[in-house]
Amino acid sequence: MAEGTHAPETEAHHGATRYVVVWVALLVLTGATYSAWRVHLPEPWHLLAAMGIAVAKAGLVALFFMHLWEHRGPTRLVFATSLVFVALLIGLVLLDNSTRFPLANPPREGERAFDPLPELPSPPPAHAR
Amino acid sequence: MQPEAQAVLAHHFPDLRTQEQAARLGMWLFLATEVLLFAALFTAYTLYRFLFSETFQQASALMDTGLGATNTVVLITSSLTVALAIHQVRQGKGKAAAILLLVTLAFGATFMVVKYFEYSHHFHEGQLPGRYYAYADLRVPGVSMFFTLYFLMTGLHGLHVLVGMSVLAFLAVRCWRGAYSAAYHTPVELGGLYWHLVDLIWIFLFPLLYLI
Repeated sequence: MAEGTHAPETEAHHGATRYVVVWVALLVLTGATYSAWRVHLPEPWHLLAAMGIAVAKAGLVALFFMHLWEHRGPTRLVFATSLVFVALLIGLVLLDNSTRFPLANPPREGERAFDPLPELPSPPPAHAR
Repeated sequence: MQPEAQAVLAHHFPDLRTQEQAARLGMWLFLATEVLLFAALFTAYTLYRFLFSETFQQASALMDTGLGATNTVVLITSSLTVALAIHQVRQGKGKAAAILLLVTLAFGATFMVVKYFEYSHHFHEGQLPGRYYAYADLRVPGVSMFFTLYFLMTGLHGLHVLVGMSVLAFLAVRCWRGAYSAAYHTPVELGGLYWHLVDLIWIFLFPLLYLI
């Protein structure tokens, strides 16, 4: 059985040291994300670096502090499933909003009105209403 | 099997290991619902950041990134002390585990104190949600949405820190009294998982609110 194989005698060898190594890695990554913020990377990299480092840190916490590394099977499946649904929710909402007709969203910064206005269908004549 | 371990085994489980696996799976199911609860707020953040991306960058520049980074280090270190506490209780060292849990509690309290100073600064400056937004130096569309989301996300997270601290305080007392052994320490494992999730969520809140 793969799950729950944490016999105290095997844990004692690497357990505490491994936690400290993971902690140091998390501190280094926190320093890295803070430095990336200080140097003001160009636009897409600013966001990508911050989120990439956050994902790496979250992975370290989930795998080693939360023991997903050694607990295979259903617990991993449950967590992975929740992440799939998070990705679906955020991804589809973003996809919806980024592909909308321009007037359905507030104006982007820099354009005070919609200039030039997108082509609108002409209103029906008064007697047709 | 040790007698105290025998006492905690429910009759419908063949042995303690099966019982612990079932308990851990149940905890992960609960953590999945927590992830989805926060996912709703992360989705709202994504949407408004997409609609008002420049505003959100200007508003996040009002955050004190030094304090945010400090709190990140505090929570990461508190996760380490919880992991070490579980490591100790797995070897039957209940008193050592209790002390490490108390250190974790101190880190949790530090986090909340730093958060309190940040909140009082925002209140003083009028950087508040919705119609209560009264900060004169940044008045652009969408800016109050940043602070609505900031207070919702950090507020819900802070509530989780308080709940986690209560759970860890309870576990520390039980550890000190010798309620757990190398054979049976499932509650400490599960409480630790909850605390790590609180850390996990902050790992994403920090860049989203303070850095980008």
